[in-house]
Parts: sequence; C-alpha cells; structure tokens
Amino acid sequence: MKKVAIVGAGQSRYGDFPDKGIKELFFEAYKDMISSVDNGIDPKSIESAYIGNLGSGGFQLGNMSALVTEYCGLTHLNTMRIENACASGGYAIIAAAMDVLSGAHEVVLAGGVEKMTDVSGMKQKYWLGVSGDTEYERLAGTTFAGLYALMAQRHMHEFGTKREQLSMVAVKNHKNGAQNPKAQFQREITMEQALKGPIVAHPLNLFDCCSTTDGASALIICDADMAKKYTDTPVYVAGFGGASDFLAIHDRVSTVALEGTKRAAAAAYKMSGLSPKDIQTAEVHDCFTIAELLAYEDLGFCEKGKGGQYMEEGHTKLDGDRPVNASGGLKSKGHPIGSTGTGMAYEMFNQLRGTIQKPARQVKGAEVGLIHNVGGSGGTVAVSILRR
Amino acid sequence: MAHVSVPMYWRTIPQRYKLIGYKCKKCGAVNFPPKGVCKQCQSSSEFEETHLSGRGKVHTFVLISAGGAPPEFAEQEKAGGQYPVAIVELEEGPKVIGQIADIDPKEVKIGMPVRTELRKIYTEEEVIRYGFKFVPA
Repeated sequence: MKKVAIVGAGQSRYGDFPDKGIKELFFEAYKDMISSVDNGIDPKSIESAYIGNLGSGGFQLGNMSALVTEYCGLTHLNTMRIENACASGGYAIIAAAMDVLSGAHEVVLAGGVEKMTDVSGMKQKYWLGVSGDTEYERLAGTTFAGLYALMAQRHMHEFGTKREQLSMVAVKNHKNGAQNPKAQFQREITMEQALKGPIVAHPLNLFDCCSTTDGASALIICDADMAKKYTDTPVYVAGFGGASDFLAIHDRVSTVALEGTKRAAAAAYKMSGLSPKDIQTAEVHDCFTIAELLAYEDLGFCEKGKGGQYMEEGHTKLDGDRPVNASGGLKSKGHPIGSTGTGMAYEMFNQLRGTIQKPARQVKGAEVGLIHNVGGSGGTVAVSILRR
Repeated sequence: MAHVSVPMYWRTIPQRYKLIGYKCKKCGAVNFPPKGVCKQCQSSSEFEETHLSGRGKVHTFVLISAGGAPPEFAEQEKAGGQYPVAIVELEEGPKVIGQIADIDPKEVKIGMPVRTELRKIYTEEEVIRYGFKFVPA
C-alpha cells in the first residue's frame, strides 16, 4: 500500500489579532510551511488543498478554501473547506492523506484557519453552540462548558476523579505553553489559581476551559516515495481514523467516554500496526480539562476511570514517560477551531524531528506521536499517528 | 445561528409538551427524542408512539453560571443565579437533558428522583417557548 508523509508544516501565532483576518492568518501559516521544507518546494507543485474551518463567525461561509489559497498565490487547485466542528483540521489531514493514497494527487496541502475574535462575546456563543445538539442540549440552557461539566460530574461520581486532578491538567498545559512562542497564553498558572477560577459550569471553572483564538496552520502532505526529495527527515502518517457518534450526549450509552475517540483510535492503531504502548507523546483535544483525562482513557494510555490518577502520577508531564500536550494544548496554546487539528500536526512534526524552537519543550527522542482532535462534545473525532 | 428558531421549536412540540417517545417495534427500545432508525438496534424504522411518564433519576448534572449560559439564558442566570441542568435517565429507558427547577442548586444529587413539569423556557423572536423541566419527585 502507498504511504503518506508530511514534509513541511507551518503555523501562525495563536491569539487575538484584530489586524488580521482569515486570509492574513492563513498566509502567515502558509509562508511558515513553505519555509519549513528543507530542500524547498515549488508552490506550483501543490495540486490540492483541504482547509479546516468551522465558519469564522459566519463571515465567509462559502468558498473560503479558494479565498485563503488564492491569497497565497495558489489558484486552480482541487480545494474544499472541511467542516467537522473543532475536528475540522484533523479531518483535513485525513482528507489530504486519502487524496494522496487514492493516487489522484501527489502533493496536497492540509490546513486550517479560524477567526474567532471578530465576533462579540455574546454573538460568539450563538456562533459556537452550533456543533452540539441544538434542539435539546441548547434548549436546556447549556453550551459546551456545560456538556463537558456533565461528563466531569459523572466521571467524578463513578471513578472518584478529583477536582485537583482536573486542575493539574490546566497547570501542566500552561507550563508547557509558557515555553511556546506561538501559544496564545504564554504564562504559567498556579494550582491555587486553577482551583479558584470563577465558576463557568460547576464543576468546571474558567481555568478548566480553553479560550477563543485566531490562528491558522498548514501542512504539506505527499506520497512517501517522493518525500526524500523535499527533506531527509519526513514525518510519516502511519495511520489515521475518523469516527462519528450521536451528537447529543444524552443519546450516548456512556457519558464518561467518547466512543468516537475509541473508534477513531482503533482504526488508526490498526492501520499503523501500532498500539497505545507505542505512543511516546501525544497532542490531545483538551478543550476542557476533563476532556484530556477522557482522552488518556479512550486512547488506551490508561484504564477507563484512571485518567485522573494517570495525570497525578505525572506520566504526561514534559518529563514523564509519555508527555501529552507539550505545545500547551488547546488550553494554553489556544483553540482556533478549524486550525486546531493541523496545528497539532505542526507541533508533532517538529517534536518528532527534534526541531522545537525552545529546547525546554522538546520531547526527547520521540519517534511515534499521536494527535487527537474532537468535534463538539464528541460528535466527530479524528486521530492520526505520526512516525519519524 | 445556534439558538432554536421558531420552526425548529415548533417541530419538536410533541416531545416538549407531551413527552411523546417512539418504541422500536423490533427491539422495544424507546427512542426519545425520535430517530429515523432506532438508536439501539440500528436496524428498524418502525416505531409505536408512547407517552413517557416523565419520571426518572438524575444521571449527571451541571450548575450553569454566568460564563456558561447561552446568551438567551443569560437573563435567567442573572435573575436567579446558577441553574442546574441534568441528564435524567427516564424509567422507560432513554436519557434526556433538561433543567431542574424548584430546587436549591446545592441540593442536586446524582441518583435523585425527578419528574417533568411543563414550564416556560424563555421568550425569543417574540414567541414564548414552553417545554419540560424537571422538578424533585
């Protein structure tokens, strides 16, 4: 079977940038991607592009992938917007990989972009509630913080997960993000701050929640046979998987697991011939602290119910045996919805090649890494396993 | 936008006012809200309408504070402080989400028995929306 490689990866800074729209943000990531290709790449060789995007507040719902690519000087592409809520970027990678594997195109761009800070706080919530079950979850008065709080409460009830264990995720990810010059929040927080944040949706407080972010990221994906033309150190897409689930969490059998994560991971593990024990580092979808603990369990890093303990034991810290969210995660690096998945791949590309800008954040010697991208409260999940 | 428009609301009135569930003729699972194909056996689209009792137990809950309330619920949060939302496991089987009214939020517990009552949810687009909320049983 054909194989697929990533030969270049770029990311804009994540944050709040009033002077940049989706075109400018995407161009920043694009330029960074082009310059990351060791032996150079002729932009004219890019034949196809998949751009993850939720909708950037509704400002450019139609034809946005053509818009952001033509701004970069790329026209006449096979291009389309990929939308699976917060997992859009993760699915852009899958779409690009399938494109190359099909033989239709050899050099494909997978990217993502979101502009979230143009809309006012009130309007943002109208816009952001769009990826869950609107008819019932929304009419009960919840947003995503509320839905993840429902999972957190049940997880605490069934498994004795502690409030402090949730906060440990926030403290860890901020510590990592403080070392990431492209992160939205480059500062550490204390355990006390994390525990005492204003309540958003009990049991979750402000420091359990990720932010709204502007940002973009882009990858060059090509046939593995031609990867060495671009770089001596390509990163291979060893496996990928996507899985959907009921949108409303009340429709799901379990409220303490994301079945989408389990299924997407199982597909990625199967395709790669690898298993959870082979994963040396991961970027997981920590939109809320509880989501990172669920990810540990559902990706098979620990047993169901032991996510809090796994965090507390330090396995996933930078100096642990399986660092998770070395980038700072959604929590500290930021969560520009459409860009989040390809942004994770940007981080993993650099982690596996040993090219992280600040050595404090470099995971040493990792050859295999996993990226995990969740749409909504688990309605869609994309997992990819990358290998040096 | 993500708020519930009037037509969207109108189409779900049988569920909101009368708790109409749909019992799968093949496996017997009660689907609430309705699905095209039974969510349990995923192999039948033949259903029998059934009135749900509205009685059940709290499976999990959240207390929504200012930052966690959708804008159309901000008024409610401002007037009454944090409000509880629960996933309730109904005695007929399905789980469903709804607010819990007539209770001090601190008193909400997993496992507590509740029942539905028809309540006003809010007014939007100049139309009063009614639906079920849970109250302690």
